[in-house]
Amino acid sequence: MNSERIEFDAVVVGAGLAGSAAAMVMARGGLNVALIERGQKPGGKNYFGGAIYTHAIADLVPDFMDRRPPFERPVTEAGFWFLGKDGLTRMTVQGGELNADPPDAFITLRANFDPWWAEQAQAAGAFLIPKTTVVDFIREENGQVTGVLTDRPQGEIHAPVVIICEGVNNILTQKLGLIHRDLEPAQMALAFKKVISLPMETINARFGLPDDAHGLAVSVLGDVSLGLPGMGFVYTNKASVSIGLGVMLDTLAEYRLRPYDVLQRYLDHPAIAPLIKGGQLLEYGAHLIPEGGYRAMPKLATDGAMVAGDAAAMVNALHWEGTNMAIVAGKLAGETALEAHSRGDFTAKVMSRYEDRLSEGFILKDLKQYRGFSRFLETHPQFMDVYPNFVNGALGQFFTAYGKPKKELFKGMLGSLTNRRGLIKAAGDIVSMARSVMGW
Amino acid sequence: MAMKTGDAFEAKELPEEVKATLPNVYVDDLLMSLKYFIDEDKAHLRIIDQAVCARCEYKPCLYFCPVGVYTQGNDGRIQVAYQSCVECGSCRVGCPYKNIQWELPRGGFGVAYKFG
Repeated sequence: MNSERIEFDAVVVGAGLAGSAAAMVMARGGLNVALIERGQKPGGKNYFGGAIYTHAIADLVPDFMDRRPPFERPVTEAGFWFLGKDGLTRMTVQGGELNADPPDAFITLRANFDPWWAEQAQAAGAFLIPKTTVVDFIREENGQVTGVLTDRPQGEIHAPVVIICEGVNNILTQKLGLIHRDLEPAQMALAFKKVISLPMETINARFGLPDDAHGLAVSVLGDVSLGLPGMGFVYTNKASVSIGLGVMLDTLAEYRLRPYDVLQRYLDHPAIAPLIKGGQLLEYGAHLIPEGGYRAMPKLATDGAMVAGDAAAMVNALHWEGTNMAIVAGKLAGETALEAHSRGDFTAKVMSRYEDRLSEGFILKDLKQYRGFSRFLETHPQFMDVYPNFVNGALGQFFTAYGKPKKELFKGMLGSLTNRRGLIKAAGDIVSMARSVMGW
Repeated sequence: MAMKTGDAFEAKELPEEVKATLPNVYVDDLLMSLKYFIDEDKAHLRIIDQAVCARCEYKPCLYFCPVGVYTQGNDGRIQVAYQSCVECGSCRVGCPYKNIQWELPRGGFGVAYKFG
């Protein structure tokens, strides 16, 4: 059989947030782009908390609100919940910055959002190839990448530049030698959640939201993960709640914990269970998050190829950022591919301009600054246990009238902390928290 | 701090009173909420060497897999229900012996999240 050689100006592996962003930019720049997706459709393999930041979307699609994105609710209230043994202290903010128009972030379900995001790339002229898994690269003898090999019959697709947006399981990135081994289990959080259906009015009432134009996004610390490094989350969708937690994979392995048992324990908590009572399970799922930070990143570019998104460990765990980094990194990779085409040079020399672009913006700056945070919760388990319990106990006592002198009460409150963690140590914890966040 | 691998892998124990607070969830009840396109012709997960699993003292894969792909048969062998896999990659990086051959399912196959 005489098979025709399939040739594009650029290939993108993975139609997620980074991939479709890259494809969009390149197609707009006039390139003939193949956007390859292994799922039945974009988003089918993706699972997150979660919320998507509009600054990144607007960067590529300024009129995005007119294009009817399938958002759930805007994030109008955000913050932390501290879960004690049977209590809950909420520290959330609403209004102010969170009332911006358009909102800073929207709560989203990826199976809805990602197809829309890919459509924006398709509208610009990118060619989406779904149900196709990329298994390897086509390379010249000197290593220059000149295309990909898919699992389709005669599955070679040639292109002078390939942008790898394969996600957290960075098999292709490893194949290219951009990173030489898998990330360690201690650099990965396994996040697992349920999407639970509830009537819109019930969600509004239970979460204190005036209507479905308001939404809540919180991180839950404390009695979520058995005192082990982990963090819960709650996001209100329109007529469902996304609720789950992330635990470091080494913790799950070493303590031999079943994620679904840990999840159920969290959902059964006396402060959490009433929020989801009577809800129907729409979907359970799990996904790895590359939380290793800056030190876990691969080399970002080589001859004929670049890496963006989860595949490049672009996640800022503390600030729930990752989706925005993926979109912006995809865009910058796309711009670099356009530059390569205009120069007619696809060597690492031009591809490395991608890293320059990342350094100019927030992505590499933030990842460098937070490089210490990925180990922070692991080395400071008291943030999972002692402090959330202290906050709940202390506030509980503060707002309770025992008929005892207040001096005694305050002594008791302080004692409940110092019994578990000395004040000097507590001060030290605050300093090391600041260090890991400020990058000192 | 990194997880020890191979024969050096060590399980840790939670305090009994904490352990007692864990419920026992029947994972199949959760799997019913998931949509899959199952590849009947090709398993994308495979144990490389069952003898290594036999030597693995703690077998953490029986626990940490979020969809219970790995179970131990009556004959002691590790069984792989790849059909339930959500392709998270935990076993790929979490097996202390790297004894799991992990590939992506063929294009179009595997989990298909409806919500995500």
